[in-house]
Amino acid sequence: MIERNDRCTRCVISSKFPKVTFDETGVCSFCRGQMFFAIDNTAIEKMRTSVEKLLSSEKSGGEYDAIVCYSGGKDSTYALQLAKQRYGLNVLAFTFDNGYLSSIAFKNISRVTESLGVDHLTFRSSKKNIQSIIRASFLQPIYNPRTLLRISSGCKSCISIVNNLTLKLALEKNIPFIITGFTLGQVPANGIVFRNNYRFLEESREESLRKLIEIAGSGVESYFRIPERLLSSVGPLPHTINLLCLEDVTEQHILEKIEPLGWMQPHDVDGCSSNCRLNAFNNYVHQRIFGYSPYELELSQLILKGLLTRKEALQKLSVDQWQECDTIRRDLSITDDDIDKVATVYKDKW
Amino acid sequence: MSEQICEEVLVFICRNFIVEKSEINLDESLIDQGIIDSFGLVEINAFINREYGITVKEEEMNRDNFGSVNKIVGFIERRRISK
Repeated sequence: MIERNDRCTRCVISSKFPKVTFDETGVCSFCRGQMFFAIDNTAIEKMRTSVEKLLSSEKSGGEYDAIVCYSGGKDSTYALQLAKQRYGLNVLAFTFDNGYLSSIAFKNISRVTESLGVDHLTFRSSKKNIQSIIRASFLQPIYNPRTLLRISSGCKSCISIVNNLTLKLALEKNIPFIITGFTLGQVPANGIVFRNNYRFLEESREESLRKLIEIAGSGVESYFRIPERLLSSVGPLPHTINLLCLEDVTEQHILEKIEPLGWMQPHDVDGCSSNCRLNAFNNYVHQRIFGYSPYELELSQLILKGLLTRKEALQKLSVDQWQECDTIRRDLSITDDDIDKVATVYKDKW
Repeated sequence: MSEQICEEVLVFICRNFIVEKSEINLDESLIDQGIIDSFGLVEINAFINREYGITVKEEEMNRDNFGSVNKIVGFIERRRISK
């Protein structure tokens, strides 16, 4: 028997999640260990040792040891704090401003970077370009549906831009590490630390990128590509480290650590974001197309690790910010009919 | 041996990327088949490292070694022999 709303009785995976099954007690195949590979604590410890070794040995000798992708949200704030205070890195914080960040997020960025004493750079895209990218991401089947299991198409495009801009910056400044604030569930456990192989990875995402640029216009190409002259002029590419995946900490713990830095919770964002107003609409579009929230897997992973209760996860999923959603929908001129057309195309692809 | 490695690689791919064995063409790129994206490659790379103790070098990460399930299996076998 599956409980109301067709969700797993242990986590928050819903029955619309692709290929999920439930047993007679309503527990899903993810909780039963039949979907994805859980990384055990020994493997995490191994990765921690490898990260600690990397961070303590491979300093660039240059201007900065690491770039931290800093969105102003709570997780990346904590990652920035860890990089600076625990690992003692000389970091450059980098923010991609997509035009939809909460005004409180900007205040947080300013207060936190000031308090930690780190340098900070912001890249603000033109409204025309970012709207073209977001619209294309929502209204065309740019991405393979399997790649949208744990992320909305709007978020995926923004994160691709962040990845590309930070890699470009790391290459230009000869910075050996890129640090992110993703948690387990947002990124797969196998990807806690990896060395970029840009050429092969670019080749692998060429098709979705070509579609995106075709629709959004060639003006956005530099957001997603690194010039060959830069790639061929540098040595080994930097390591990307998803530092928070090594931390077994609750949201409360993170808040207790970052609030003394001046961080405050924004009120114009949905329950799953702590910086971006666009997230509520991203989730709405994903839910309408696929029938489940892109946060189900991440929240369920946290529940399984004992870092979040099911009740807290359900609360997060229920804060949807309809007012913000409507403002953004008007801003992007997107209707439900537009979204439903994409849903039809995606339906045939699974 | 290659059959066993192929089976292990397939089990990982099926479970991790929510796909049935019957849906996978062993000679075609997993990306071209829409089974994985670029991050999927990172995951397979980590799987190879964890399961077989093989560290994939930057220059080895190419279509010749990762362009299909059979190529991945061949790569693992070659690296195990040369270890």
